[in-house]
Amino acid sequence: MPKAIHENSCQEHLYSALFRKHSKNLHDFLYYKFGSHLNPKDKVQDAFIKLWDNCKKVPPEKAKSFLFTTANNLMLNAVAHQKVVLKHHKNPRKNSTNESPEFILEEKQYSEKLQKALENLTEAQRVAFLMNRAEGKRFKEIAELLDISVKAVEKRIYGALKKLRENIDEL
Amino acid sequence: MNREELIKKWLDHNLNPDEQKAFEGLEDYKDLIRLSESVEDFKSPNFDSEEVYAEIKSSLKPKTTKNWIRSLLRVAAALIIGFSLFYYNSTLDTQIETSIAQETTVSLPDASTVALNAQSTLTYNKKSWSDKREVLLNGEAFFKVAKGSKFDVITTDGKVSVLGTQFNVVQHDNYFEVTCFEGLVAVSYNSESIKLKPGNRFAIIDGVIKNELESLQKPSWLHSESSFKNRSLKHVLSELKRHYDVTIDASKIDVEELFTGTFTHKNLDLALQSITSPLGIAYTKSNSVIVLKSE
Repeated sequence: MPKAIHENSCQEHLYSALFRKHSKNLHDFLYYKFGSHLNPKDKVQDAFIKLWDNCKKVPPEKAKSFLFTTANNLMLNAVAHQKVVLKHHKNPRKNSTNESPEFILEEKQYSEKLQKALENLTEAQRVAFLMNRAEGKRFKEIAELLDISVKAVEKRIYGALKKLRENIDEL
Repeated sequence: MNREELIKKWLDHNLNPDEQKAFEGLEDYKDLIRLSESVEDFKSPNFDSEEVYAEIKSSLKPKTTKNWIRSLLRVAAALIIGFSLFYYNSTLDTQIETSIAQETTVSLPDASTVALNAQSTLTYNKKSWSDKREVLLNGEAFFKVAKGSKFDVITTDGKVSVLGTQFNVVQHDNYFEVTCFEGLVAVSYNSESIKLKPGNRFAIIDGVIKNELESLQKPSWLHSESSFKNRSLKHVLSELKRHYDVTIDASKIDVEELFTGTFTHKNLDLALQSITSPLGIAYTKSNSVIVLKSE
């Protein structure tokens, strides 16, 4: 087995490269999985500080799974302490020009339904689906990020879509 | 291509133009697009990784391991300094110095011993002792040299070389005296070499070479006495000053007068009487100032 060029992540330029590569994805992953109220940004920072503390033990190629596992565990610890309902923040609508009050109301209702439906998805489905729809990532990227197969990602996303539509129709 | 496959391709952002058309023809196309667009509202808040990195950068403890070469160099430097100090110290000369009225005995690295008279300095090197038995002497000393290789006593006036023997060396201003008590002593002086047998003394006093005999078995100063045979009073007084911390005013007497006798190192009055009475000199003593004048 060829020896890794960089044996650990202790060199600062390597570390900052890892940060640039993984921090946003990690943040999004935490956000879509656990919602915003547990402060995913803090968990990202904590996970990266833990990576720095353990940089000798974690080679760069293992850094991603170390970060995701660490951040996920941090989140789970926080969740265990406070069971809170997931809530997705709604971003301001981009083009709300000259729309009738009925339309706005309908949009609002739809969005509320969608939010409920998203909360009803499994964590795995929600993460994959939002990575795909909100972040515009392709199946392959998500598969790499979550360390699962492309087929599994496809299943999760398609399943999520089906479930969302059923849920919205019901509500 | 069926509906499900089309939707999956759409989800994967992977529709070709034909498929795109087919997808747009689906009855629930509008619903799908609406859902997808609405989902975008739930996009995660902006995450600026540069900004966040700047935030945590300060909380990262610096890693010493990054500079292991540097720390290794530091350790190496400390070791080198330590070793060189140790080496420097071990090669440094050993110096023994006696002050006024102080006598001491020095054991040299072999079995040789040196008795050092008052106000004298002896210097030798422990490190090179096995190669070269050599001491530097300023003042007076009695040597008991263990048998072995050549033993050199170096003074500013001459060099004394011996094998195994007992001898006394005196070197003061214009006063160089070597007395052999046992064995054989070679004295080098101005490229001349004189061999001294036991009971013989070689002296150069004020540039005058003297060959004398010595009847004593050991130099008298080892018994706290100084003995002189036909020595100028000035040398006697110098020796007195080496054993008593006094100032002597001898301006009113002739210091070239010769003196033969002994004075003790233990009692100043007795010593002064021993020196002055044979020469018919009177002395007055106040504090540590002694004035000599003719009677």
